[in-house]
Amino acid sequence: MIIEAHELRKTFVSGRGKGNEVEAVRGIDLEVADGEVFAVLGPNGAGKTTTVRMLATFTPPTSGRALVNGFDIVKQADKVRASIGYVSQSGGVDDLAPAIENLMLAGRIAGMSKAQAKARAEELMEIFALGEIGNRPARTLSGGQKRRFAVAIGLVAAPPLIFLDEPTTGLDPQNRANLWEEVRKLRAQGTSVLLTTHYLDEADALCDRLVIVDHGRIVAEGTPEALKKEVAGDVVTVKVADRIEQARALLSAEPYVREVVQEDDLLRAYLDDGERGLPSVLRALDRDGLVIQSITLSRATLDDVFLKHTGRSLRDAA
Amino acid sequence: MFKDATLVLGYELRGLLRNPIWPLFGILQPILYLAFFAPLLGSTVPGGSDQEVLAMFTPGMMLMIALFGSMFAGFSVMNDTRNGVLERLVVSQIWRPAIILGRVLKDAVALVIQAAIIIAISIALGLRVTLLAALLMLGLMALTGLLAGSFSYALALSIRDENAMSQIVQFLAMPLTLIAGLFLPVSLGPGWLGTIAQFNPLYYAVEAGRSLFRGDLGATTIPLAFAIFVVLCALTLIWSVRSLRRLGT
Ligand SMILES: Nc1ncnc2c1ncn2[C@@H]1O[C@H](COP(=O)(O)OP(=O)(O)OP(=O)(O)O)[C@@H](O)[C@H]1O
Ligand SMILES: [Mg+2]
Repeated sequence: MIIEAHELRKTFVSGRGKGNEVEAVRGIDLEVADGEVFAVLGPNGAGKTTTVRMLATFTPPTSGRALVNGFDIVKQADKVRASIGYVSQSGGVDDLAPAIENLMLAGRIAGMSKAQAKARAEELMEIFALGEIGNRPARTLSGGQKRRFAVAIGLVAAPPLIFLDEPTTGLDPQNRANLWEEVRKLRAQGTSVLLTTHYLDEADALCDRLVIVDHGRIVAEGTPEALKKEVAGDVVTVKVADRIEQARALLSAEPYVREVVQEDDLLRAYLDDGERGLPSVLRALDRDGLVIQSITLSRATLDDVFLKHTGRSLRDAA
Repeated sequence: MFKDATLVLGYELRGLLRNPIWPLFGILQPILYLAFFAPLLGSTVPGGSDQEVLAMFTPGMMLMIALFGSMFAGFSVMNDTRNGVLERLVVSQIWRPAIILGRVLKDAVALVIQAAIIIAISIALGLRVTLLAALLMLGLMALTGLLAGSFSYALALSIRDENAMSQIVQFLAMPLTLIAGLFLPVSLGPGWLGTIAQFNPLYYAVEAGRSLFRGDLGATTIPLAFAIFVVLCALTLIWSVRSLRRLGT
């Protein structure tokens, strides 16, 4: 295990008095295997950044313990630091300096000679297609270009484990796809990656395993496939004109429907085989004279997993 | 350890070289004082020759830029607490004091260059100093810059609020300069002024600077100032490194 965390907690105390305490992380257990791409998925304020900051030794935990690369994050923080790369949510690119200077300094701090640091910086700039813009002051770069630089800086020392806090926020689809490709390459080289995201498709497409966090707690854990299967294979989303309670009761009574969840004026019925179940759903609603305004059939997503565990949709959980 | 400090220093100095204009503005003020204020002082200084006036006045002007230049240095680090630069450095393998040390050393280098220019101008105006005295004065400048700089970084890292920071710095800078006798020696005033001045580190630097420029290299004010500054520099550096550690809490 490259990360083992047990009951990690962080309570921030801002200002004075008890009233200002924020329980950002309320007991998180994590196990990330060597070479795994692991995602922490959750809405804004769920405690993703705080969790990563504790593992990366930036924020000391209030309680609990964790080993990163076999080292204790509190007692052996310096050893942890020597074995990780960390790209914070805010990036950490110095705006005033050319981006290549940021890369070179990171390399030198990691113990490279000037020539090595230069070679590594050029290599990374090649990989992230940053060649022509590396000599411009970083403040002149676009948000996406800066983000790519931030990731490149985190990879300078080729660490066995890298933390990426929301690496694709602000990237266009093209650059997002490029970054995913880079993360896959890292995995192919045996680097372990812990990334946070609030994009469902990102966690789904990229990670081997994930945890879903909400209000500082893990609400679900597993591979994307297993998590989705746990909910059901397919979802039928129905909007009825009125009598939603009746519709809900009706659908819940159908034997092939595993569960019905209400989300505002929509009903989401989970079933294992949507193609076969859909006609029966229609028939059942029709039998009682309910007017269907819309109906869609789709595959279950991680959002359904989130919905099942928290009663909210990730899209409007923030 | 210290290699990391030189790496950060090199990085910061390259930044300074990309924009070498700004520090020049800093020396404009003391030059104006030397040109237009020093000539008014002839009657207040014993002897009253150009040489004596400049020996009394130049150290104060130099320390003024040391103080004003460095007390605001912390503003530069405030942005780095927000854009994640410090967050990244703090969890890297760097020897943490190097993060501060590299930066204050850069400020000290800039300060020594500014100070050398001021000495050169004073000499052109009629000051006579030995090379040793000038070098010791530059050393004292560097120490004052280190002290004020690391104090400023420590303050910035602790409060992390530009508005509060500028209020505090303004609040401190004025009495510090007044009670140090930057313009005229404190000894010209009443006894109580001299008593409070003893609690102001800058006072020792100005006194030592005046001894140096008078050519009185054996004066006890000189080793006293160096000793006080070395100790205070160490303390403020420790404080600033501690505030770095508290960034994530
Ligand atoms: N330094 C701090 N002091 C006080 N409260 C904090 C601090 N850092 C985070 N918090 C609080 O802790 C909670 C979790 O924050 P965190 O940044 O870990 O969330 P997140 O999951 O990363 O959210 P986002 O998706 O918006 O980045 C939030 O309520 C936040 O306001
Ligand atoms: Mg976050």
